[in-house]
Amino acid sequence: MTRRPLPALGVALLGLVALVAVAAPLVAPYDPGRQFGDFASAPPMRPHVIDDAGAWHLPFVYPIRLVTRLERRYDEDRATRVTLRWGRGGTLVSADEGTGPLLLLGADSLGRDVFSRLVRGSRLSLGVSVLATLCALVVGALVGAAAGFRGGTIDALAMNVADFVIVLPAIYVVLALRAVMPLVLSTSEVFWTLAAVMGLAGWPYPARGVRAVVAVERRMEYAEAARALGAGPWRILLRHVLPAAKGLLAVQATLLLPSFILAEATLSYVGLGFPEPTPSWGAMLQEAGRISSLVDAPWLLAPAAAIVISVLALHLTAGGRPTLERTVQAAPVNN
Amino acid sequence: MATPRRLLSATFFVLLLAAALVVGWRLARRPIAPAQPDRAESSAPTRGGELSGSFRSDAVTYNRYVDRSAAGELLALLTQAPLVRVNRVTDRLEPWLAESWTQSVDGLVYTLKLRNGLAFSDGVPFTSADVLFSFGTLYDTKDSVLADGARVGGKPLVVEAPDPGTVVFRFPEQFAPGLRLIEGVPILPRHKLEAALNAGTFADAWGATTPLTELAGLGPFVLSEHVASQRMVFARNPRYWRSDAAGIQLPYLDRLTVLIIQDQNTEALRMESGGIDLMVSGEIRPEDYVTFKRAADRGQLRLLDAGVALDVNLLWFDLSNSAVADTRRPWLRQKAFRQAISCAVDRQVIVNTVYLGAAVPVYGPISPGNRTWYSPAVVGCQHDLARARTLLASAGLSDRDGDGMLEDATGAPARFSILTQRGHTIRERTSSILQEQLRQVGLTVDVVPLDQGAMAARWQKHDYDSIYFGVQSTATDPALSPEFWYSSGPFHFWNPGQPQPATDWERRIDDLMRRQSNSLDPAERQRLFTDAQAILADELPAIYFAASRVTLAVSRRVANAQPVPQVPQLLWAADTIAAVRDK
Repeated sequence: MTRRPLPALGVALLGLVALVAVAAPLVAPYDPGRQFGDFASAPPMRPHVIDDAGAWHLPFVYPIRLVTRLERRYDEDRATRVTLRWGRGGTLVSADEGTGPLLLLGADSLGRDVFSRLVRGSRLSLGVSVLATLCALVVGALVGAAAGFRGGTIDALAMNVADFVIVLPAIYVVLALRAVMPLVLSTSEVFWTLAAVMGLAGWPYPARGVRAVVAVERRMEYAEAARALGAGPWRILLRHVLPAAKGLLAVQATLLLPSFILAEATLSYVGLGFPEPTPSWGAMLQEAGRISSLVDAPWLLAPAAAIVISVLALHLTAGGRPTLERTVQAAPVNN
Repeated sequence: MATPRRLLSATFFVLLLAAALVVGWRLARRPIAPAQPDRAESSAPTRGGELSGSFRSDAVTYNRYVDRSAAGELLALLTQAPLVRVNRVTDRLEPWLAESWTQSVDGLVYTLKLRNGLAFSDGVPFTSADVLFSFGTLYDTKDSVLADGARVGGKPLVVEAPDPGTVVFRFPEQFAPGLRLIEGVPILPRHKLEAALNAGTFADAWGATTPLTELAGLGPFVLSEHVASQRMVFARNPRYWRSDAAGIQLPYLDRLTVLIIQDQNTEALRMESGGIDLMVSGEIRPEDYVTFKRAADRGQLRLLDAGVALDVNLLWFDLSNSAVADTRRPWLRQKAFRQAISCAVDRQVIVNTVYLGAAVPVYGPISPGNRTWYSPAVVGCQHDLARARTLLASAGLSDRDGDGMLEDATGAPARFSILTQRGHTIRERTSSILQEQLRQVGLTVDVVPLDQGAMAARWQKHDYDSIYFGVQSTATDPALSPEFWYSSGPFHFWNPGQPQPATDWERRIDDLMRRQSNSLDPAERQRLFTDAQAILADELPAIYFAASRVTLAVSRRVANAQPVPQVPQLLWAADTIAAVRDK
């Protein structure tokens, strides 16, 4: 049996990202909205195990201190070691606050810990994407199955609607939708709205694939046999025909999920996503939108790195999934 | 086989990200080259040369009298001239097209002597008939945007021209700022526009399609080229009347090119890379300071400190009649609630975090940048959370369910929204800090960034809880800002355009402002205005937090710049700004 290291790596990365998202309250050292006024745009604090004298220690950081506020210059206080504390105070890692905050990925312009916001933001960004993917797959599978199984007018209508949704300029639809909604939306309202909107925008893609699979499979001998044995259309569809689209749906999931992660980021980036101070990866990237951020505060791009890693993990994982081609080949062939 | 391709793309992604971070890191730590000697500051200004600047909007008409836009104002500043000018550095009134004036004993009549031998850029002589025409047009034109600012107590000035070199202005009542009132009125060429006025088409005259040769003015430049949404090119007006102390005819510049760059990030990049010499539209944002400082340390440009800004952003609540009649959240309109907000906010945190220290805490609309009218005696509540909680309790807000957040008497959460301008980092970040700081006293705040137009529409319809915003003003004398101070004013933000003062304190402010506007005694005016500020600081219909220090960036080619905090911070003295000539 051939070893497949890349899908394994993808699964491992995906597992890590999922773990961080699930355990976010335990991993993030601070409340994501907490502002450390004297640490605006502070750089990341690097953990060390060897001090300047070459002696080994348990992991520690050097506290940073403000040198010039206007120039946002900070220095490490190399005379002071702050040992990282593990599992204390209900968080994975923390430091004695008397020496200043622990900023593993630096701070944003309001002095908020980027690491805490990134970890907390993973819940929303990944959560809304997973929910939207499930929504798109369920709706797409049902519509596609109905269209492929019944054919005729239902098929034509469903596929025309799917085509219509695909050609809609999504950003304008979202803008129009946002305009008719209340001015202030809570985080949970935004969460469900985004998931619903993205899910409804994504269903045509799996629907078209499922429709094609079902349209072929329903004429197969095993389906005819089931029909001859008295199975009803629902039983034939759900028990015999639809399972043939499992591989396709899996592939679609690995395509839709990363695109929804990016869509959430895009919508939040343009101000249509989660409101302040709720952290999501896209909302966090708003601040990194200036080209000078790359020079002055590259740590603000941490959400971009998280998105790249998540999408990459999904793509690597997808490499280990049965492709549509293999799924179709594996299906019974009518000679 | 997909695996090698995925491996390749994964490697590419990781390398790209790493390269971006390394480049960023390197750039941030680039060694600083020693700054070159600054010829712009050391040498006397010389005639000739050209500069380029950026501006964020384009002119849609060349007719200042019907154009309120910033671009229209800039165009008028460069190509037209008023009778008198306020020197932004000294804050004193200077003769301009009028070389001198006298004031009657009762302070109601000003007689201005016009300069001899002046001519418009097309060669036609300038006389008092042009002044008569301009003020007649100003008050008669239906769409005039300058008329309200040139009235006293709602009445126009009476303008007479006893001879071609003399103009008389009769004020309807005593008005302390005097001729400062007409500083913003450019004198138009009668010979070019009288026909349009007579035909009733003045509002359409000098539209964007007018050939540039049809325009004429008394300003230092003439508009020689205008490519819509791209650039405006201003050439020297050869008939401009001013000379410097050495007798050199102004303006110093042969040409000034203004590029239309709408995006502030692009503008900053162009400035940093040397693509433009100055940013006409404004100051450096705090977040850009470090980039410009680095460029200045490399000797690429100079940073100019223009002092503390006069314009201060403000947070106001909807106190209009419809809002006051709304019984759902009565606490939102209570004075104690507004005072609690003022006490709950640590202004120094805003100064340090949003402005990176380049600002000062303020408690009212007059910042320390306004040296004449700022009163240190008018102070608001310093950061005091205990007092804020007490005031909130007196407004009927307390933590009834023990969740740490406040509720009103009905058990509804003490929650309100702040609308602010999307994309304006100062306002967005300040709003975020307000949100966090007010959370500490149990108030839930929703920050809603909106486009400026959408926000203005909600303001006009009174469809909001509170707004954090700001407007630009060039006038230092409060009597020239009646639109803000008077209850009937259109920029009396919390309840604009009141037919009668809605509250007793607004009536008292109206009265104080009227008296200080009419008084010719400077000490009396100061006292009355301090009283008006004290009422405002107590009632807090608008809450102020910080005034920025204005820092400007100019290239090493810009000489003789006189930076001021008001816009346009450099081109207010466009005729004396000069370019360093390459040797």
